[in-house]
Amino acid sequence: MADLLELLVSATASGCVYGLIALAYLLVLRPTGVINFASGEWAMMGAYAAYVISDAGGLPPILAIPAAALVLAIIGWLTEWLTVRPLVERGAGHLAPILALLGMLVIYHQVVLLSFSEDQYPLDGPFGFGRIEFGLLAGSYQDFFIVGATIAIFIGFWLFFERTVWGRSFEAVAINRRAAALMGINLRMVTALSFAGAAAIAATAGVLDSPRGSVEANMSLPLAVQGFSALIIGGINRVEGALLGGIVLAFAEDLTRRYAPIPSGLALGVTPVLLITFLLVLPNGILRAKEAK
Amino acid sequence: MGAAIRWGGAALIMCVVPFLLPLYEMDVYRKMLFWVALAISYNFLFGIAGQMALSHFAFAGIGAYTVVILMTQAGVPLLLAIPLALGLAGILAFIVSFAATRLEGFYLALATLAFAQLFIVILDEGGALTGGTGGLTSYKLPLVFGFEIQGPWLAIAMALVLLLTLAFLLRIDRSWYGRACRAIRDNGEAAAAMGVDVKRTKIMAFTLTSVMAAGAGMVYAFFDNTVNPPVFGLENAFMLLFMVIIGGSGSHLGAIVGAVLLRLLQDMLEPFVGQFHVMGLGILMVVVILVQPKGLVGIWDDLVGRKRAGRRKAKP
Amino acid sequence: MTAGKTFIEISNLSKRFGGLTAVDDVDFEVREGEVLGLIGPNGAGKSTTFNLICGYYPANTGSIRLDGKEIIGQPPHKIAALGIMRTFQHNMPFEGMSVTENVMVGAHTTLHGGLIPVLLGTGRARSEERALRKKADELIDFVGLSEERDTPVTSLSFGQGRLLETARALAGEPRLILFDEPAAGLTPSECVRLSEIIRGIADRGIAVLLIEHDMHFLMSLAERVVVLNFGSKIADALPQDIRNNPAVIQAYLGDAAVIGADTENGSGADA
Ligand SMILES: Nc1ncnc2c1ncn2[C@@H]1O[C@H](COP(=O)(O)OP(=O)(O)O)[C@@H](O)[C@H]1O
Ligand SMILES: [Mg+2]
Repeated sequence: MADLLELLVSATASGCVYGLIALAYLLVLRPTGVINFASGEWAMMGAYAAYVISDAGGLPPILAIPAAALVLAIIGWLTEWLTVRPLVERGAGHLAPILALLGMLVIYHQVVLLSFSEDQYPLDGPFGFGRIEFGLLAGSYQDFFIVGATIAIFIGFWLFFERTVWGRSFEAVAINRRAAALMGINLRMVTALSFAGAAAIAATAGVLDSPRGSVEANMSLPLAVQGFSALIIGGINRVEGALLGGIVLAFAEDLTRRYAPIPSGLALGVTPVLLITFLLVLPNGILRAKEAK
Repeated sequence: MGAAIRWGGAALIMCVVPFLLPLYEMDVYRKMLFWVALAISYNFLFGIAGQMALSHFAFAGIGAYTVVILMTQAGVPLLLAIPLALGLAGILAFIVSFAATRLEGFYLALATLAFAQLFIVILDEGGALTGGTGGLTSYKLPLVFGFEIQGPWLAIAMALVLLLTLAFLLRIDRSWYGRACRAIRDNGEAAAAMGVDVKRTKIMAFTLTSVMAAGAGMVYAFFDNTVNPPVFGLENAFMLLFMVIIGGSGSHLGAIVGAVLLRLLQDMLEPFVGQFHVMGLGILMVVVILVQPKGLVGIWDDLVGRKRAGRRKAKP
Repeated sequence: MTAGKTFIEISNLSKRFGGLTAVDDVDFEVREGEVLGLIGPNGAGKSTTFNLICGYYPANTGSIRLDGKEIIGQPPHKIAALGIMRTFQHNMPFEGMSVTENVMVGAHTTLHGGLIPVLLGTGRARSEERALRKKADELIDFVGLSEERDTPVTSLSFGQGRLLETARALAGEPRLILFDEPAAGLTPSECVRLSEIIRGIADRGIAVLLIEHDMHFLMSLAERVVVLNFGSKIADALPQDIRNNPAVIQAYLGDAAVIGADTENGSGADA
């Protein structure tokens, strides 16, 4: 039982990380229709940025998180400006930005590999290593911190989209670009901010995740895959869907790995199987779109 | 007649070259043929039929593994193992596409990516059947009339697969079927209104090209008499996508140019810069998408077209 | 051209989108060689009616009979094969293909050889392909796009795109052809040309169903006009009688100029 409860805490933490990456996908996907496979790279770059900032810059880990998010926001914004905006303005289809971002993914990855000599770097969480127990619930400091930070971020985004004029204009663009432009919403600005915000969120996910393992270039691909799997599972129409999808995915993975009577390697098949199942059976995910108002 | 000479000439050159090359270069050459063959069929699937599938390498792997497993573990003779492996790839491709073709755009990419991932998981965990992460090794093609097929002869086999693939796809591309595929790629709704059975056409394109990939994979399996999971993984599936786009998606020539160029880039640069030649790949991709979505072939056409237009203007 | 026998017969056709009834118990028929006008204010359900005929979505009730045979429930490509071709309200060319190839796609349902003859390169397959190319070229000449044969489809003007869609639809050897607001966005001279083309189509014995807002254009072509309003049919009459039909004037209230209603002396017939 204690075993299960401990698993729940760490699975929830993993689910939160997946959920944040899914949110990064969602932020770009909703207003532009583009799926950005480079989201995983952004997470990895965020982790590297935090490592540099806290190791060389000497900033405490808690400050390294927003600093890394800021660095990545700038990178995300630059990416949009360099590779996506020209395509959108030329009227290229949805596929072109997806492919351009795939090219950027490769460039990011190589830049990181070129810039860092070691394979792995350690990154401290803001509260260091240690365990806490709330009655039966037990987990590492970092696990609890991830859950808390993620909940705060999602509440923030939820309020932003539901309660602010700015958030509403994002939603308007997501629903109908042309109509939104006619309403006087600045499409360029919305798109640029989506990319900057998505990169910052992905970076946060990377920084939060790294203390549980290490900072390494290889972390990007699994995060990219788990992120879009979580996105499809939760449904692409609502912000909460990203978090829900992430949690469902992480629980499916962790419970299978721990309890299913199959080799642990085969448990890696859970993510693709879930993804295929959802795409074919429930392509809109768990959470349906809200009725249009 | 002219066509027969051209094809015969191409075949002859492709078959003579491997005998003239030193061993290492011969190996580079035949692996390049493998990539070109895959790029040609992938171009039909992605560039012409408009399906962004990421399962092409998985099907090459299904062909490779199946033929090896049938021969070494089930004792099936080669001539029977080949059609069985192609048939299995065809059935699997049919099932995957039957399920997946109602997914559009990147949803199809995600579904086929998941399929490709699953394939690797199964290879890794397949125990004695697939040899696990190490794959299957040290098997051999049976002697054919007392003759051992190896080295450059396998390059010839790959050249034949490549030419067959190309001839087949060129024919159907220039027919009603190729037009139906392009029409669906450009506008599925209008294609249906013109009487094109969208689902059937898509399934056919996916199944045909996947079987072609399996065919190339089968020959590849005997290059080094080893098959292992990483070869058929996601990285190479994306590489294929890059080749087709950089060369010029939708163009057969583009697929060939893209595959040859990126293979050469890798083989020539790798000794000097290690794996950082991959950076060039990313830059090429971004530049091509931004500058000329029709790829290098499109850039070439632009240059030639401009020159021609200039000449026309120069005439009084 | 006097109209021939009934080709398509629509009865009790209804379509609901959620709470909205876009097409409400509509019936009418189109005869061979007849140009039937379909008008109504924006949102009246005209395009939805087209989409129902083409099998784009299922109807909630009603039937559509072709030569007496029910076609509701058939997918779009089967309906095209039965001889119903269409143009779209917003041009939908195949952008990656040449003008000629676009038209050749339209002939998809008229082809008979499968893939095997193509692969074998049989003489039959080649001559079919040649004949098809020739037919496409003739249709391109017919609609007046001969000059644009080598123009990339993306560089065609809006009007030329319309003509291309017309040629593409004709390539399918339709028995009924549907035009959704073909004159919208055309220059006056393009309108005249399109009008001649549609006349020519009907003269070949093809039934034409024409949605159009340009009343001058419509009235000069249509032999009969069906009027929809909020999904329901409110009139089915000769063009000259439509203009002064009280229900129609009511529907277009405030915009009477659109239908050219002559409210003063009730003698608006100049068709
Ligand atoms: N796919 C759809 N989903 C929901 N409502 C639709 C759809 N298509 C049309 N409608 C609605 O049905 C009504 C009729 O539309 P339409 O047939 O396009 O009118 P029109 O006569 O202008 O061509 C409109 O109110 C439109 O908003
Ligand atoms: Mg309409």
